[in-house]
Amino acid sequence: MADNFKKLKGSKFIKMLPDRQARFNAAKAEIPEIPDNATALAKALHPKKQYLKVADIKIMSEDTRSFTLVADEEKGTKALAYFGAGKYLTIFETIEGMPVTRAYSISSSPKHSLEGKYVLTIKLVEGGLMSRYIFDNWEVGTCVEASAPAGNFEHQPLRDAKKVICLAGGSGITPFVSMANAIADGDEDFEMTLLYGSRNYDNILFREELNEVAAKCSKIKVVHVLSDENAEIPDGCEKGFITAELIKKYAPENEEYSVFICGPQQMYAFVDKELTKLNLEKKYIRHEMFGEFHNPQSQDDYPAGIPETVRITVTIQDNTYIIKGKSSDSVMQIIEQNGLAVPARCRSGECGFCHSHLISGKVYVPKHLEYRRLADYKFGCIHPCCSFPLTDLEINVPPAK
Amino acid sequence: MKTYDVIVIGAGNGGLAAAANCAKAGLSTLLLERHNIPGGSASSFVRGRFEFEPSLHELAGIGDEKEVGTIEEVFNRIDAKVDWCRHDSTFRLVVPAKEGDKDAFVNDDGVLVTVDARMPVGFEAFSKKLDELVPGSYESCRKAFDLSISMFKAFECLDDPKKIPGSLKDVPDIMRMVSHTMKEALDALGMPKKAQDIFNTYWCYMGSPASQFDFLYYLCVLHSYVRSGTGIPRLRSHEMSLAIDQKIRDFGGEIWYNSEVTKIIMKNGKPAGVVVNGEKEVYGKQFICNSYPHKVFTELLDRKDVPDIQLKMLNSRKVACALTTVYLGMNKTKEELGITDYSVFIAPDSDSDKQYEAAQNYFSGYCIINCLNEIIPDCTPEGTSQLFLTTMTFGDVMKDIRPQDYKKFKTKVAENMIETCEKALNISIKPYIEEIEIALPPTFARYLNTPQGTPYGYMLQKWDSMLPRTIQYIKDQPFDNFRFCGASQERGDGYGCAYYTGEKAAGLVIKALKEGK
Repeated sequence: MADNFKKLKGSKFIKMLPDRQARFNAAKAEIPEIPDNATALAKALHPKKQYLKVADIKIMSEDTRSFTLVADEEKGTKALAYFGAGKYLTIFETIEGMPVTRAYSISSSPKHSLEGKYVLTIKLVEGGLMSRYIFDNWEVGTCVEASAPAGNFEHQPLRDAKKVICLAGGSGITPFVSMANAIADGDEDFEMTLLYGSRNYDNILFREELNEVAAKCSKIKVVHVLSDENAEIPDGCEKGFITAELIKKYAPENEEYSVFICGPQQMYAFVDKELTKLNLEKKYIRHEMFGEFHNPQSQDDYPAGIPETVRITVTIQDNTYIIKGKSSDSVMQIIEQNGLAVPARCRSGECGFCHSHLISGKVYVPKHLEYRRLADYKFGCIHPCCSFPLTDLEINVPPAK
Repeated sequence: MKTYDVIVIGAGNGGLAAAANCAKAGLSTLLLERHNIPGGSASSFVRGRFEFEPSLHELAGIGDEKEVGTIEEVFNRIDAKVDWCRHDSTFRLVVPAKEGDKDAFVNDDGVLVTVDARMPVGFEAFSKKLDELVPGSYESCRKAFDLSISMFKAFECLDDPKKIPGSLKDVPDIMRMVSHTMKEALDALGMPKKAQDIFNTYWCYMGSPASQFDFLYYLCVLHSYVRSGTGIPRLRSHEMSLAIDQKIRDFGGEIWYNSEVTKIIMKNGKPAGVVVNGEKEVYGKQFICNSYPHKVFTELLDRKDVPDIQLKMLNSRKVACALTTVYLGMNKTKEELGITDYSVFIAPDSDSDKQYEAAQNYFSGYCIINCLNEIIPDCTPEGTSQLFLTTMTFGDVMKDIRPQDYKKFKTKVAENMIETCEKALNISIKPYIEEIEIALPPTFARYLNTPQGTPYGYMLQKWDSMLPRTIQYIKDQPFDNFRFCGASQERGDGYGCAYYTGEKAAGLVIKALKEGK
């Protein structure tokens, strides 16, 4: 083919600037009304805050209550954010002048959020600051501030097997109750076999609700695993603990299955050991977050000779504070104990919301809570929620907003 | 109360470069960012044992032993340290055959295709390879690159008007290139249609269809990739952003994260300060804004304070398309998966305008698949690898998707993209997915805070292309102490383009303050 490039006229360019200006001049001087569907959906699913009100309290056991939360329209929350079963809400409270946050899995189904309610089922933790506060203070009508639903403990059909063995311990049942209802509602599509560890039959949380949902949906099977039952073990229940053998008994043969685990920290330690016996691929084992970690001194790799108290110089925007705390508390806890608010969501190292700059000093991070990005190590960034001070520290923390 | 010399709104690539250069010049600098980490698109995220690269495909401005690349220079100027990994090829384009395609053949992967082009680095090598694939295309391809080489020399003058002798009339070839679309120019050069389709593969890096941008702009982009290969940071883009963050602090600048500008305070007809998180006022003399004009003029200012012409500009422009990306942590190595290239463009049709039209719907068969381990073998734990699949989509495709449908919709979109790749490369992906994250336009809207979640800025169109935007940059700014930077500006998207606009805005601020403004 011939080269005709030199025959092209370059003179069009002369008119480009006046043409462009003429186009601008001819347009309307009004706020543009383009529909921004992507932003609208993002805002509906991930509001910055949700203002809620306690609408109902149900006593689940002597130390566990379910709180039904509805939108607080007066404060500006018109509708609740929809969520995938398994997600949690972070609750914000101020207790004696101290900002405190905790993440709680939503136990109600996603469908219920469309009808205007979330249910959080909360166990009173011995020595627990937030649960004690909630039990003492939340009553019908109490205003509650919460995050958008968050977390990664969800069934993903492209990643997880179609058959899932769910292992729950105690109040770790909450995300599975939501998942079971979501399956029954047709919002999730997988087969759930729930092995739920409780002390004894009378102690089982959600017993009736789980039985009902299993009865109406063939994709759900519930097996109660009772550790301390002295009476006769009822039909469909097992005695003992969630062992490899027990999982094998209920797992499909010659077929892939996923294992989802949610429970107290001791349960993770026990069950993880059992799971190694089953030789499952890593992709088929998923844990809900660990929850706030305490007692770093109990870890094998925790260094010796660490001072009991440390001084932390905290800069938040243009304010600098010098505070003191115990080296056995996380940097986040120490900051909160001194009445300062930090961005906090999962409190388990995972979500990265508290990402901060360590200017000087050293911290200890338990290995299993290491979710930092590679460049964070290079440039001295930490997640205060799972970092424990080993020396005096100087740290830049973003404000909680 | 303290008045900062300069307040930078947004710590995307443009804002980071702007703040670093202002701080380096000794200005009291405050960088405000609504998110908890810097970078905007230049970031990373962790799922399980994988750390994913959210946006970066490749950087054209990373040099080699012989010379320093343009993006490296940005980092060198502020002495920021990044560990670069180089890559010495450009792209592979695969067009699977449709029924009845006469020129279909079976490629090395055993797939029936009409195009399978693995394009090398180097103008001569690229032209020869194109000729091998489409006989008779060498001359035109070589001529195109010769034009780009001479154009780049002239182009350096654009940033410095003093260097332009008289006016651009003295550069007739450049005027021809600016005045014509890629198709018009390549037709005139005599490039066969099929060769043009391969030549145009990078159209999607610009977010506009090939018929919309001028020959000059595309040639700039292709030239920079073909010239000497590409590179990426070893620790994902988060490394680049934190490296600049570190230097801003070293130079005495302040960065406040989780600190969203919710209002611009006006005094005497121009910005005097900002409100942070709806409660805290901060004042400044000069402002550089990495946030989009859409956000500034519709959310941060009262209507009475917005110059009419700015709204007219918003109303004449189109927001560019957005992306859908699927991030996959694989429990197999790239060798076990049978992946042989870093970057494969899979297109249902070789014609780039038809590819762009396909972006209007979600199941187009257009998909780019990248494997980070090709460049950084140890970027994932032993025995694993990470992939990311990308396709172009428009944010307004989301209009019928309700929150309760979104998860299923996302999964369906991802599944479709994965199957497109499996078929086009004759590989198996689905059984080996250990981690998956799916980002649709709402995901980008959430993290980037751009209209419709676009990362591309405003669509580059024939009448509003890079050159007129560059020449008019100063005139297009809303106030004499307030300048935009980032993808919404003259060069559109891309890390290098954003850094460039940030540095340029910083230069103007430094000059203005020197002159006592």
